[in-house]
Amino acid sequence: MNFFKYTFFFIFALFSGNQLFASEEVSVNETSTKEADTKKLVEIEAWPLLISGKDLSEDDYLGEVPRVLTVSRLSQPLSDTPSAVTIVDRATIRASGIVDLPEIFRLVPGMYVGVNAGYVHNTNHVISYHGMTSAYSGSMQVMINGRSVYTPLFGGVNWSELPIVLADIERIEVTRGPNAASYGANSYFGVINIITQNPSDAPNNSIIATHGNGRNEMFYRHADKVNDFTYRLSTGYRQDDGLDNRNDFKRTRLLNAQADYRINDKNSLELEFGLADGARGEGDINEDPFIFLPRTKQMNNHYQLIRWRHNINQESDFVLQAFHHYDRSDDQTTSVNLRPLLGIFGPFLLNDKITIKNEVITERFDIEAQHNLNITKKIRAVWGGSFRRDMMYAPFYLGTNKTDYFDLQRLFGHAEWQAHEKLVFNAGAMIEHNDFTGTDVSPRASVNFKLNPNHTIRLGASSALRTPNYVEEKFQRAIKVPTAVPVPNNTLLLQQDANKGNVRPEQIISREIGYLGNLGLLSIDTRLFYDTITDHIRFRDRNDFVAPPGFTLLDPDPSTPGVIEDINNGTNFGSAKVTGVEAQVKWLLMDNTNLLFNYAYIHVRGKENQLKKNFVNSAPRNTVSALLNHRFNQNWDASLAYYQTSEVTSLGDGDPVDLTRRCDLRVARKFNNGRWNGEVSGIVENLLNTRYEEFADYNTLKRRARINVSVEF
Amino acid sequence: MGILLGLLFHGFAHAYTGITIIMSASTPTNLEFVDHFKQELINEKQPNLKVKVINLEEVEKLVVAENSELVIALGVKALSLASKLSFTTPVLGVFTPLPAYNGLLASSGRTLGAFSAIVLDQPNARRLLLIKTILPEAKRVGVLMGPTSMHDADNLIEVAEKIDIVINQKNVYQESELIPKLSAILESSDALLALPDPFVYSRETAQSILLTSYRYQKPVFGYSQPYVQAGALAGVYTNTKQLAKQAAEIAIKSQLAIDGLPPPQAPKYFSVIINRQVGRSLKIQLSDEESIHKKMVEAEAKR
Repeated sequence: MNFFKYTFFFIFALFSGNQLFASEEVSVNETSTKEADTKKLVEIEAWPLLISGKDLSEDDYLGEVPRVLTVSRLSQPLSDTPSAVTIVDRATIRASGIVDLPEIFRLVPGMYVGVNAGYVHNTNHVISYHGMTSAYSGSMQVMINGRSVYTPLFGGVNWSELPIVLADIERIEVTRGPNAASYGANSYFGVINIITQNPSDAPNNSIIATHGNGRNEMFYRHADKVNDFTYRLSTGYRQDDGLDNRNDFKRTRLLNAQADYRINDKNSLELEFGLADGARGEGDINEDPFIFLPRTKQMNNHYQLIRWRHNINQESDFVLQAFHHYDRSDDQTTSVNLRPLLGIFGPFLLNDKITIKNEVITERFDIEAQHNLNITKKIRAVWGGSFRRDMMYAPFYLGTNKTDYFDLQRLFGHAEWQAHEKLVFNAGAMIEHNDFTGTDVSPRASVNFKLNPNHTIRLGASSALRTPNYVEEKFQRAIKVPTAVPVPNNTLLLQQDANKGNVRPEQIISREIGYLGNLGLLSIDTRLFYDTITDHIRFRDRNDFVAPPGFTLLDPDPSTPGVIEDINNGTNFGSAKVTGVEAQVKWLLMDNTNLLFNYAYIHVRGKENQLKKNFVNSAPRNTVSALLNHRFNQNWDASLAYYQTSEVTSLGDGDPVDLTRRCDLRVARKFNNGRWNGEVSGIVENLLNTRYEEFADYNTLKRRARINVSVEF
Repeated sequence: MGILLGLLFHGFAHAYTGITIIMSASTPTNLEFVDHFKQELINEKQPNLKVKVINLEEVEKLVVAENSELVIALGVKALSLASKLSFTTPVLGVFTPLPAYNGLLASSGRTLGAFSAIVLDQPNARRLLLIKTILPEAKRVGVLMGPTSMHDADNLIEVAEKIDIVINQKNVYQESELIPKLSAILESSDALLALPDPFVYSRETAQSILLTSYRYQKPVFGYSQPYVQAGALAGVYTNTKQLAKQAAEIAIKSQLAIDGLPPPQAPKYFSVIINRQVGRSLKIQLSDEESIHKKMVEAEAKR
């Protein structure tokens, strides 16, 4: 009842107010003032209720409001950015119907995505941009809310181990091209920054479940606000059976949380943590029938992040961020009986079988300070520094029981100068010092000509360095088989990696001409690029390896006696030129129909005939991807995705694979019943059931279907 | 017109010689008002109008010479107190939102000629004019209304129609509805117009509203200077000096007027504030505040 009284009063009070208000602006007339006068007598009774509510006072107009869109939160509009940037938003992720996060990068022009159920610590998607595709190349910076998630082990990302739910993602910003000046280490071919949903935007409660071929998962998300503290929690379980012909299943339990705490108008804290654990299928009979047999390994990881945002004044912000990440996997494998396999050595073995323990622990500590400021009305800058320590414990890989440390310090600065309303200059540089390669500088510069608000031309040049990762610099992987008597030594040694170290950083210099246009309902982002890569790091067989005292070196290939092949050594070898064109088109075909179309032509040139695999074929020459979405009505919508990749021969673990074509269909229906709303969708991946391989000849893909249900309440 | 009103309101003759300003608190803004107000009287050569200033905390000192003094109340609390003065004492509220004024008018039983205000609320026409000036292409303007502002909807829609703007309105009844409804509005609007309502727009909700709008890349038009500084694109507001000038004009004009105070009015003078950084990030070309203001004044004059 009170509510009605209250509302009743308000209606009258405001109604009369409007009359009065109007009277000033138009003219006072007798009736309106009379009306107001009589009404107020009736309303007096309701008065006590009014003051008990949230009343409007002068404070609402004059009082301070915490500054939200401060310098550090405002991004450059795409027409001002120094590089090509693709933004994949929540709606696109939804429409694509993908279930595995890395799949979304198929919608980024120039990017190659290959499903790979590989075999060394790495049942994973392979992602590359402009070539040099390898299961181990860490040529991209990948971040989640500014936290670097690539593993120091091989520089890539163990995508399935990230404690993140697809529904947590608000948008993904992909910088196409090197951008070390802004994003630091590993921002070599590109930068992927995954931005999660702000806790205050997440629904109070939601459940998301997927069931389908080889896939079952269920997640629960909860978000709430307690005074100045807003938080979101996501948790769930994912069961992924992987490819039919591979032992690559993944069972993952995960939890992540994100919270914002507003200390006062000038200061806020952002907190994040997450953890994941589970079992992973490893090993395949077809690859290695003797030692790395099918088995299950356990993995677990967790991270914590704290970020302090301090608004110094209207023109500047200070951000201090620290995070820690821990990752462990415990792989143990027992071989078959080796006696019959080792020929003359067989009878002397101490045991029939050997057991390899491959426990890997990586840990990362990172602290970064950043100052964003407007130097003048036209010049905006950001500068800062960071310190990182990566720790690596991997006795089997590194050939030592000691923990290895990798320290990295960096200083960076970037400025944007709006010289004229039609001209924007960007320049920046990063100085990095690390334990592997010493001190390096990565500069960049660009100029954007804004012909008019709808047409921008960008000229840019950027340089970046890629520090070798552990696989390339420090791996000393070897299989040791003890013998009962010296033959002539006590242990047989099958050496797989014997890195000499001192690998120089690989360098890329990228030049581009870009064009951004808005032509009514069509927007286009295209660029021509010319990249030169020098000191390319890759594995070369080492033939000067001498077994340490006490070991007898085994030759894995007895057909060439006296020559020991297949001992990897990370080496700077070769240079390449990568040229091409890429384009992204967004087209609003009709009110309810959107088309996203991507195309890339990539031509890698280089000389290195001595190597088994030439990086000239490490990028597909032509890639096409498209996503068509149509909304039939408020409830129904459907989307059709198309992906085409020309033949490619990837490096590191890759094999020649043919042209692939894939078509996905998603049909969804929304439900809304006051208290809760939800969506049911059906997805068919590879609709036409074309059999094809990705990355390597053993990754065979075929049709998969699933149903997804999400409910918010 | 004046005569008519005068007759209606019992024909008071407010020939006052002094002014008492009651401040809700001695905040910098209120003190600034007092200074500007005094200066305006000097500028207008009104040495006879003596100004006394009193803080709400020292209310016991309040002695108002009935019928010979004008009371100017700064802030809602001061106006609430002033509304309890003798009905014949003319009271002018400043720094008062319209709903608060209306509430006090109703509760005190006072009559219009002796109880007026320069409200803080900018006229809807001016709010929309700002949007039209900055975004001439804007067709749909989203508004998120709470219990206080939703009753202003009819007027807003009516004013918007005249300049070819469609108001895309959603009412918020519960806190939890805020962001979902905001998102729905942002999806189908060219801009969001924030209207004063503590249930919707407050210090607590500023972050989520501004961040969400930014994520949708939609500009927010704020209703106050601080809201624009927090992250809205632009807003119209009236500064203390402008309010003081308008108050002084009323004080001088009504000094000897037989019809008492004019009816409550919207701020006559106003300023434009823009957030250039937000504009740039949203790719919205903004001319400077003065020229936007000038265009608006010209447009208002034409109407």
